[in-house]
Amino acid sequence: MKRKWNRRGLLGSIGAAVTGLLALPVGRAAKAAVQKVLVSTSAPRGYDPTKHKWQMAIDVNRCIGCGHCVEACKKENHVPEGPYYRTWIERYVIAKPETGTGKARGKTWVDSPSGGMRGFPELPIPEEDVLHTFFVPKLCNLCEHSACVQVCPVGATFDAPDGAVLIDPNYCIGCGFCIQACPYGCRFMNPLTKTAEKCTLCYHRITRGLKPACVEVCPTQTRVFGDLRNPTPDDPLEEFYRRNKVQVLKPHLGTEPRVLYAGIDKEVS
Amino acid sequence: MSHGNDRSPLARFPRIPPQILRLILLTAAIVFSYFGARALLTPPSFGQHGFYRGAALGEVAAREPVYAGAKACAECHDQEVAALASGGHRLLACEVCHGPGQVHVDNPDIKPQILHFSHCARCHEASISRPKWHKQVVTREHYSGSNCTECHVPHKPEEVP
Repeated sequence: MKRKWNRRGLLGSIGAAVTGLLALPVGRAAKAAVQKVLVSTSAPRGYDPTKHKWQMAIDVNRCIGCGHCVEACKKENHVPEGPYYRTWIERYVIAKPETGTGKARGKTWVDSPSGGMRGFPELPIPEEDVLHTFFVPKLCNLCEHSACVQVCPVGATFDAPDGAVLIDPNYCIGCGFCIQACPYGCRFMNPLTKTAEKCTLCYHRITRGLKPACVEVCPTQTRVFGDLRNPTPDDPLEEFYRRNKVQVLKPHLGTEPRVLYAGIDKEVS
Repeated sequence: MSHGNDRSPLARFPRIPPQILRLILLTAAIVFSYFGARALLTPPSFGQHGFYRGAALGEVAAREPVYAGAKACAECHDQEVAALASGGHRLLACEVCHGPGQVHVDNPDIKPQILHFSHCARCHEASISRPKWHKQVVTREHYSGSNCTECHVPHKPEEVP
């Protein structure tokens, strides 16, 4: 039988359609409410990100450039083979100034072969020409005002409430904006997943009560890690503050990094 | 059924002209479909902590640790851990030298890595870039063999075996 449209029938259909549309968000909201409860109590199990604030500090005066941290980070986080690093060590070599130039310091060399994982080659200049040389471990600076978070077009990278800057691997579209935006060069494109990747502060470890892998294996306690919301009686961070005058990398950019450095030279950036 | 009779739903609101009422209904339909689409497309945990998917925290944290941590080692090897804690290598965690240990924790039959001469040199080979307080030797001049443990006890480096 052919249906005959009249005003009453048409309005009835529109009404049904609107009711149907209304029912969808109601069902969805109910599902979301259930999932929110599940999400907040499931993984990371028993961990409340609002009750922690993680902090990393690096005492450059103690770094011996052994590369254990880089190796541990690669193994712990299954970082792909090749020139991909979530943390790495840079060797700075600052030459004596040439006589008669009136300069305080000479040329600066920075290298990080294999991220410093397999040690460092001979110095680029003879030892007697060296003014100062040292190692600087680098990692995500955990900025308070992160450039990478601002540029992400899909909200896939974010500042977690506990201070970690993380990437949502399922929502990253691999556009690479964040890799260009990071002024510290801390991000890379994972060649296997084609998504951006960076230091997560070993989020899977700190949420289980372990230290990040690089901190765990650092033989000289160059890397100091702690929780600002739950300080321990002999907190390594407190000791670090007592012993050192702290700096951050590239303070003029206003990113307010939460990774603090002690003992870096003016050439370090 | 004739058109525009008194039983038409629009005729129930005699003060609103029908064309205005249609506009109102259309606007309401558009607004509700926007909220409907938004509820459908937004991940459930979005906005839990901020402008991102809250479930991502759990997904990032889901990876299994590879390094077990010194506490796990102490559960079985308490003597070695105690010896280490009293010596010059007290700042070292077990896994600095013995490598990632979670596989060994899960299955004690899988032994940790065996260490070689190059492992000691990795930290103690002399380098001008290393801080002065750190003990360093030019291994070529210091020793011609390949077994540092002939003279040094790794867990208590100041002792002679």
